Amino acid sequence: MSKWRNIIKTLTYSILMLCVVNGFAQNDRLNRAQQLLQSKNADLAKLAIDSVIVNPETKGDYVSWTTRAYIYFEIYKRSDKLKLNSPLRDTIISSLKRSNSLKPDETFATNNKKLLSNISAGYFNLSKVLLMDSVNYKNSVVAYNRFKENFILAEPGTNFSSRDIEYYLAAGSLYSDIFNKDNKNTSAQEIAKITLLKVLDIQPENPSANINLGIMYYNQAVNLGKGLDYGADFSQIDVVQENIIKLAKQAEQFIIKVYKVDNKNVKAVEALHSIYKMLNDKAKEEEFKKKCKELNIKID
Amino acid sequence: MLFFCVISLRFQQPSNYDTNSKFKAVFLYNFTRYFEWSDKKKVGNFVIYVVGKNENLISELKTLASKKKVGNQDIEIKNSYAFDASINANIIFLLSDQSKSLADITSKNKSKSTLVVAENANACKAGSSINFVVVENKLKFEYSKNNAIKAGLKTNDDIKALAINIE
Repeated sequence: MSKWRNIIKTLTYSILMLCVVNGFAQNDRLNRAQQLLQSKNADLAKLAIDSVIVNPETKGDYVSWTTRAYIYFEIYKRSDKLKLNSPLRDTIISSLKRSNSLKPDETFATNNKKLLSNISAGYFNLSKVLLMDSVNYKNSVVAYNRFKENFILAEPGTNFSSRDIEYYLAAGSLYSDIFNKDNKNTSAQEIAKITLLKVLDIQPENPSANINLGIMYYNQAVNLGKGLDYGADFSQIDVVQENIIKLAKQAEQFIIKVYKVDNKNVKAVEALHSIYKMLNDKAKEEEFKKKCKELNIKID
Repeated sequence: MLFFCVISLRFQQPSNYDTNSKFKAVFLYNFTRYFEWSDKKKVGNFVIYVVGKNENLISELKTLASKKKVGNQDIEIKNSYAFDASINANIIFLLSDQSKSLADITSKNKSKSTLVVAENANACKAGSSINFVVVENKLKFEYSKNNAIKAGLKTNDDIKALAINIE
């Protein structure tokens, strides 16, 4: 009996020892991963940390997850910074989220925040490159929204209104420019409308959005007139006139909002003169012609 | 953020293209389908004579002339600020800044197979065959069949359905 008791005791100690050794082994792997990260050997560090975060002993430790995020970040920096979709970046973000959910101490919380800010800044720069260099609004807005999603994780409660206005105005200006240069580019026109209307949702009186939208409608009307064939019959002329009037009145709605707030706004006065001329409204055309002269705006 | 800020401050420029001049040019060309000029006026160029100042309109008419014909006749655009009776035109378009010349022009062009077009209030009552008017922001035209007949033109009544008739 006592023999069996000794065997069971020995076995229990052995199992306990194995568990402790295994725990040490996992902590060793975490240390190893951290050392590899410090020595800029991120690829080996990645292998080590990936085993750490699946082990029951260490997967509940925020240190493992933050370390993983930083290791993946080193690899991400090398190749994925300009990619809109990057599994490496996704792993960094999910690791940071996991670490934050495990209530990290102040140092780790600060490090998590720093890395999230860095990732969101990367998305912001990407949105800029995609918009201005690649003229790819569809991808740019995805990057911009991801910038906001990650930024708010780092800085909860951030109000993005002014940033949204600047972003959507930039996109709206760019695409209305494209449309004004090539009036057959209706997708550019649509993007310009969508983005400028988003600005007006946030700030209905925004002068740039109102003026750019108004001028876009006005120029669209001009293009209809330009496209009218000289041999068009009276019924065709009538249809084109109807459409031009509708567009000119839409343009007026946007521009007049700016004029009512600032009756010396040069762009608004100039645009209203053009709109009333298009609408054959002689009285208002003359009124705004005078205002143009007062403000030294060259017309005709 | 500053980058977007700079871009977002860009303003678009309204086009300086004059759609009204385009419409007037297209209308003038359309009128040629509804009148018949005397045989004398069917030879040589088809002359559209604009009296008054409107550079955009002249430019539109010149483009029209380069693209279209009236029957077999090439279109020729003439323009002077004051009325010049020596110009033998198929259409005289009297601009609003020279409306005072209307009576003189219509009297000098009686039976000369010249379509007189104006753009001034009551111009048809003062002798013009056609007068551009604006109705609810739209360019339309008044038509006086009597004045067209007095001017020596054969008329087509189809135009009456398209015009504001003055008689």
